[in-house]
Amino acid sequence: MNKLIYPSIMLLMAMMVIVISSCEENETPEDNSFDRTIMLENMAQNIIIPAYSDLKSKLATLKINAENFTQNPNLNSLNTLQNSWEQAYISWQFANAFNFGPAGEQGLRRGLIEEVGTFPVSTEKIESAIMGIPNFKDFNRDARGFLAVEYLIFGLDDSSIEIVQGFSSEGRKDFLLNAILDIESRVTEVLTAWNDGYGSEFVRNNGTDVGSGTSMLYNEFVKSFESIKNFKLGLPLGKRPGQIQAEPQLVEAYYSSKSLTMIEKNLNAIENIWNGHSREGQEGLGFREYLESVVGGQALITATESQMAEIKLALAAIPKTTPLSEQIQNSPAPAERLHTELQKHTRFYKSDMSSLLGISITFSSGDGD
Amino acid sequence: MTIYPAKLIAFTHIYSIIITLKERVPATPFSVFRVVFGLFMAFGAVRFVWLGWIEDHYVAPVFHFKYWGFSWIEPLSVEGLYIVHFLMIGSAVGVMLGTNWIYRLSAVILFLTFTYTELIDLTYYLNHYYYVSIVCALLCIVPSPPAVWDFNAVIPRWVLVIFKFQIAIVYLYAGLAKINYDWLVLALPLKIWLSAHDKIPIIGSIFTWSITPYLFSWFGMLYDCLIVFFLRYKPTRLWAYITVIVFHSLSGLLFQIGIFPLVMMGSTLIFFDFGKGKSITSNAIKPLKIKEKLLAAVLVLHFCFQLLFPWRHLLYEGNMFWTEQGYRFGWRVMLMEKAGTATFYVKDSLTGREGIVDNREFLNPHQEKQMAMQPDMILQFAHFLGEYYEQKGMNSPQVRAEVYVTLNARPSKLLIDPSVDLTKETDSFATKTWILPHPKELKNAY
Repeated sequence: MNKLIYPSIMLLMAMMVIVISSCEENETPEDNSFDRTIMLENMAQNIIIPAYSDLKSKLATLKINAENFTQNPNLNSLNTLQNSWEQAYISWQFANAFNFGPAGEQGLRRGLIEEVGTFPVSTEKIESAIMGIPNFKDFNRDARGFLAVEYLIFGLDDSSIEIVQGFSSEGRKDFLLNAILDIESRVTEVLTAWNDGYGSEFVRNNGTDVGSGTSMLYNEFVKSFESIKNFKLGLPLGKRPGQIQAEPQLVEAYYSSKSLTMIEKNLNAIENIWNGHSREGQEGLGFREYLESVVGGQALITATESQMAEIKLALAAIPKTTPLSEQIQNSPAPAERLHTELQKHTRFYKSDMSSLLGISITFSSGDGD
Repeated sequence: MTIYPAKLIAFTHIYSIIITLKERVPATPFSVFRVVFGLFMAFGAVRFVWLGWIEDHYVAPVFHFKYWGFSWIEPLSVEGLYIVHFLMIGSAVGVMLGTNWIYRLSAVILFLTFTYTELIDLTYYLNHYYYVSIVCALLCIVPSPPAVWDFNAVIPRWVLVIFKFQIAIVYLYAGLAKINYDWLVLALPLKIWLSAHDKIPIIGSIFTWSITPYLFSWFGMLYDCLIVFFLRYKPTRLWAYITVIVFHSLSGLLFQIGIFPLVMMGSTLIFFDFGKGKSITSNAIKPLKIKEKLLAAVLVLHFCFQLLFPWRHLLYEGNMFWTEQGYRFGWRVMLMEKAGTATFYVKDSLTGREGIVDNREFLNPHQEKQMAMQPDMILQFAHFLGEYYEQKGMNSPQVRAEVYVTLNARPSKLLIDPSVDLTKETDSFATKTWILPHPKELKNAY
């Protein structure tokens, strides 16, 4: 008799559960059929790898134009070089959110974004490196990368003629070519790794724990978004505690005055990841569809997309004819508004999304049961 | 002399309990318990060191969140922390195998080193670390145990009883905490967590069934509420223990909870009657010695605290899951999915200029995550920021925080009043008036 107590209670429990859950059945609209593997494949094949391929080809053009320019420095070749820099740096905006795996930190090497995308650059360090022996592997990440190249070919308050004249120096030519080669070799290394196995490793790692494809991509996606708010706008606007005034020279792409273009492209890239769209507009599974499949996801999608619309309105309201740095100095209100809208958006990406999707963001143990 | 019958009955009743508790019973269950516990403690400490968590948890962060009343605890230097962990590993082995003074010294060192490392930073608070600290403390006060290989040895029954009672409290309170609307009716947060594990080999697909979170929620609640009774009752004991293994293996597989499943699988072994020693009862009522009285008083106090402290949340207004007032130290484990984004604004009182803090400058991701949903940690961080920027030359900085929190997949809402200068608020057990109520008061039973 006694031996039957345990099994019968277990049976009772099972029955209760079935009764309860069948009552609840019709209240669960979410559809659990979402396949993360397909989302990761889409991210890898249609977004990440194409972003690095495009970047690589833009860098190849940049390199050729830099060689032409250094062999024959004139206003024409400078103009071509500047245009190809802009194209390459736009391409980078679509590749700056994937700093994990081959583009992640490894030993002394930092994430790709720090190695090639650090700003503001130190003009002193760059000038002294030109005088001495340039080293692109040291800790001076503010003396290499896209924005060091930008400084060299756009210059600070220099006319185009002065820039061309500056390149009579062999040291300057060498530095320019080597800085571009350095970016190119880092990007090539990452792209090669993605094509040679990391891509499939990323897709195979289809859980939601730390180190899974979804978790790493999500983290870098959020960081890319936050960097627009914190670094591309917040710091130049003087928003950090302790800053006593705006510091417009801290904007991204200060020397070329392309800051606004880059913010716009960075936001495009983030939206593509959210939607799972390729840059050419090909559709696939993204975080949006993933959210559609979970409890509370639809409400978050609505909130996120209506705030994203606010962000775009705020961005559109910033005059494009005046450089961002000048606007921050003279009439910061439109830029301030964009910063505020980005701030309002942060929570949707940063905590709501990971909470709803059950993505782990830290390695340490949680509270056990 | 007149003795009232009621008093007499109570008097003899207490004495019969004392006689039962002092009865000598086979020591083997306790030997198994301490060997397994010591082993897991040693393993846990080695794992902690091995994973580089000393650096990640205690050395790298520039700021540590303090436990209330323990703000004087500071992390030692790296070398010091390594020594503490090596002492912990050594003393865990001592608790496993030692006798006499080696056992006693080991138990005390294990308790002190473990509890010290836990008290360094509130971020890493886990109920099972609290449980481990309590077990270590109880191990310090039991009589010197016989050698673990002595299968005929006996110990007083109360030694087993206190551990069983402690385990019973852990399970029962964890079970009672699960009796709430979200857990039982909405199957939240398991609905969120389980579907995130649909890629686990073999069993993954069952987590896509919509019935699974309900099954797990109800089973989890009933398991926690009832398991101790089934373990105590001999005819069901073996089945109950098999359930323990299945339950903790499954939760260990699904959730990132470290060595906790092992600790509980090991701890519950104490319910088994291993060994062949014979119980010895002495019916002579000897008056208790001073030392025994003291010990009894400590244990009674401890268990009163254990039974009452988790209910302190009843003294606060509002939903405990939202405010987290009275949440900790109550065996509320894996009970909710909560996350927040906290933005801190620091204002110079003289110039009126206000800046926005980048939390990553001061906190690691784990610290930021825990802080962003717990009001007392938000307050601590705000105080830190106030002091930090004052030192940087800001004029009496005011710190306010805009904190949006999502609880069990509900849209995120403001957790605290974003206009309150947190540097003017202090942490205490009093109600935190700057916590905002959840707009649609959650339907939890609390």
